[in-house]
Amino acid sequence: MKTSAMQRSAPAQAEAGWQPEVDELNRRRALAEKLGGPEAVSRHHDAGRKTIRERVDGLVDSGSFREIGKLTGQGRYEKDGRLADVVPAPYVMGLASIDGRPVAVGGEDFTVRGGTSWSGDRKKGGQGGFVEDMAYQYRIPLVNLIDGSGGSVTSITRRGHAVFPGVHGFERSVALLGVVPVVSAVLGTAAGGPAGRAILSHWSVMVRGTSQVFAAGPPVVQRSLGQKLDKEELGGSRLAVDRAGTIDNAAASEEDCFALIRRFLSYMPQNVWELPPAVPCDDPVDRAEPALLDIVPRDRRKPYDMRRLVRMVMDRDSIFEIQPTFGKAVITSLARLNGKVVGVIANNPMFYGGAMDVKAARKQIHFIELCDCFHIPLVFFVDVPGFMVGKEAEEAATLRAGMRAVYAALQATVPIFTVVVGKCYGMAGMATTDKNGLDFKVAWPSAEWGSLPIEGGVAAAFRREIAQAADPVAREREIEAELKAVASPFRTAEAFGVEDIIDPRETRAHLCRLVDTVQGRLRISLGPKPKYGVGP
Amino acid sequence: MSTYEVRAEVTGSVWKIVTEVGQSVGAGDTIMIVESMKMEIPVIAEDGGRVEAFKVEEGAPVAEGQVVAVMAP
Repeated sequence: MKTSAMQRSAPAQAEAGWQPEVDELNRRRALAEKLGGPEAVSRHHDAGRKTIRERVDGLVDSGSFREIGKLTGQGRYEKDGRLADVVPAPYVMGLASIDGRPVAVGGEDFTVRGGTSWSGDRKKGGQGGFVEDMAYQYRIPLVNLIDGSGGSVTSITRRGHAVFPGVHGFERSVALLGVVPVVSAVLGTAAGGPAGRAILSHWSVMVRGTSQVFAAGPPVVQRSLGQKLDKEELGGSRLAVDRAGTIDNAAASEEDCFALIRRFLSYMPQNVWELPPAVPCDDPVDRAEPALLDIVPRDRRKPYDMRRLVRMVMDRDSIFEIQPTFGKAVITSLARLNGKVVGVIANNPMFYGGAMDVKAARKQIHFIELCDCFHIPLVFFVDVPGFMVGKEAEEAATLRAGMRAVYAALQATVPIFTVVVGKCYGMAGMATTDKNGLDFKVAWPSAEWGSLPIEGGVAAAFRREIAQAADPVAREREIEAELKAVASPFRTAEAFGVEDIIDPRETRAHLCRLVDTVQGRLRISLGPKPKYGVGP
Repeated sequence: MSTYEVRAEVTGSVWKIVTEVGQSVGAGDTIMIVESMKMEIPVIAEDGGRVEAFKVEEGAPVAEGQVVAVMAP
């Protein structure tokens, strides 16, 4: 028998209305606030980490958190039925707002049993659960604050049987990816289910030094492979973000992480039936940066700072780079033009001359899918010599990953605007325009293109002629010079093979005009994107 | 600040070493140039300092992530 029922039957309290129950409610709410208790909380703080309640407070608009399921947990009762204590369920979630827009937010409470899964009548969150259902049904973004190691073998004893994988599956997590923005922050050590949950997101972030993520942690790895690694070596941000690209971005601290999440969401619509939020723009649309004229060196061997180029064109301070430390041959950023959100894909000549390798292809594919899903037009700044070459590149299946990038670009239905600033060669170059759409591309005078670069290409195509010449080296240079004159971008423009050549300083005005022009078209093509076909 | 290693970001060959042992450079300065994919890719001393030693010579092949120089504060 529970306390409330006993109190209700007491005649002395007949006049008290429901105050005793409300008192109990408040007591239960207070018990939930203590999480795993002062000792567990202090251990958690000593590890440099915030509690789930501090995390929610740090992330959302002040005072906006409306917790759901605060009373869940394991009650302990005195012999007379009075409540002694409640161990809260190790997951905290609810509704909140970020920059005034509603979101669903939830995360494991590591201070209760290490945030391992908990079974009530209904799951609160994690993989599936109420918080995911809420984001799905109410069509609002979901933020996962992940800090848990998933299942534990001890659950076999507790339940009396082993759970089949997928009983608490990822079907809702997957469905969400086509409907509302999903952000995952790894804020502690995530293994197994929670690690998998982190990946099923549009954008993910972890904290340098205090977060780790892996399929399985050090004890399992040592048992399976005999490798002795600490958890930072196995799944810290240097591996998971910089080398593997498992997680997209790294934050310097939890506060920084929350700022990045708010920033990411500021570019996202609430769901795929809405346009991303436009903001007023005080940066003149016809601002012409003089430095754009000579940012691409005449000497083709000299690389330049593509990030600086992109900054000069986009709305001032509007750039948010996705995966800045992974797949460095390509730079992917959310940004704004005349206040409207665009996705920018720019080749990075500082890294293998911008050649597309497997990592760059993976990064570009994910970014195209993200922008296509949320109706964000793509802008390409092209300077790509082609796919990465060499034995290592072939072994890594660059050709396959690269063609997958071509496939992703050709499946996207969002408008794509192309500005060729340097090289545009081969199949990697082909992946930079919307062939299914208007295929509108403009070039700077510094642009050059073709099936493959003239240098190198000449040696192969004119092998016999070069070999038979009196001075083969001189003949090769001669042929190169002849071809280069004909390969001038102006000749292609004469043939309307490229729709225009622009003064680099006109780039911002050109792109702002196009982005404004397609707003109506974007509004009438909202909704989920169908999936079809088989990717290579 | 203790000594730190400078690594080549890309596979290629050392085209030109543009600094000398003992020379002081600023943060972000180029210490050598690696030729890769027909481009001259600068190798940068991120935190600046004094060039203590080079681990490669001009013309030598380098692999991605290989240590090419050691810098002292």
